[in-house]
Amino acid sequence: MLEKLLSLVAVFAPLSLLSFGGGQAIIPEMQHKTVDAQHWLDGKAFADIFGLSRAAPGPSTLIVALIGWQVAGFLGALTATIAIFLPSSLLLYGISTWWRRNPDSPMREAIDKGLAPVATGLFFAGPVVILRSAHAGYLEMATTAGVCLILFLTKAGPYAIASGIVALYAALYAIAGHSPV
Amino acid sequence: MEASPPAEIPAEIPAEPPSVGLRELFFAFFRLGLMTFGGAVQSWLHRDIIVRRKWADEEAFVNGLSMATVLPGANPVNMSLYLGMRIRGGVGGLVAVVGIVLPAFCIILLLGLAFHRLIGFPVVHFVLAGLAASGVGVTFFTAMKVAWRLPRNVFNMVMGVLVFLASAVLRLPMVPIVAIAVPLSIGYAYWDARRARDA
Repeated sequence: MLEKLLSLVAVFAPLSLLSFGGGQAIIPEMQHKTVDAQHWLDGKAFADIFGLSRAAPGPSTLIVALIGWQVAGFLGALTATIAIFLPSSLLLYGISTWWRRNPDSPMREAIDKGLAPVATGLFFAGPVVILRSAHAGYLEMATTAGVCLILFLTKAGPYAIASGIVALYAALYAIAGHSPV
Repeated sequence: MEASPPAEIPAEIPAEPPSVGLRELFFAFFRLGLMTFGGAVQSWLHRDIIVRRKWADEEAFVNGLSMATVLPGANPVNMSLYLGMRIRGGVGGLVAVVGIVLPAFCIILLLGLAFHRLIGFPVVHFVLAGLAASGVGVTFFTAMKVAWRLPRNVFNMVMGVLVFLASAVLRLPMVPIVAIAVPLSIGYAYWDARRARDA
């Protein structure tokens, strides 16, 4: 058991520090490590749990919890989750602590100002990449635009939006009698 | 809105946000972790923590977003850690991360258990696609709000658009984009500040 948990740490902890730009970036490498190298699961199972992790709330990196579960049950899921989040969190903790201790350095101000446009460009790119990889149709695009509009016009929170979407899509499905897209 | 705790903050630092209880902090992030689909966690963090609760300001959000995006790690987790630290120090960061991850961790394990039964119903796929599309809408909205607040100079606009094109259209990997864009952009900001001081 301990051996299995250690091998989960050995696979996921380095991936944590390689996940530039978030969890999406390490998915191909994760598939290679867990499917081809460790044989923890086959390619189809990996695709299945990938879809599932995209549907669940929270960070998509939580796919590691499902892989950990496959390998060593609940403890495996917990170990994999800690292994993927802890190293990157410690790095961010260290850097932002240094940050706040040096508030007046001109370099710090330049870093603050300089990072902002890069982060904004990447932030815009995220949704486009998701829409493209999901082969979104007109209904999805209308949903995306509609949600933007609702957020602009109202103070709707995540609960209202999510339950509205579930009700709307379930109703559409019931009316059409099959998947409308 | 919850009542704000009694003001114990010395008058000489009025910019400091009100002190937030750790339990309050935990449940705010827990709530968001429960209902944020389709990669939209940061956007809901913005709407809830910055706009509604005012626990941190816009500047903190943009700084956190920059760091969360550029450093490795899941962006929502990095963002929660950063905001939690801004609000209540290191312990606050830990509480915020556990709050944002815990509900998703439980739900994904439950979904994993029920997966083979759920996947038999096509309506499940359909509703999940709708939730993902709405998450994309939330992200777009927040991206527009953040972009609107950037200082509007030619360099920022060109840099933002180029990074977007490189990532979304050319699908270049993250490491080279960051390795080229970040030093350029920081270098420009440093030079621009020095020029402004000398003038």
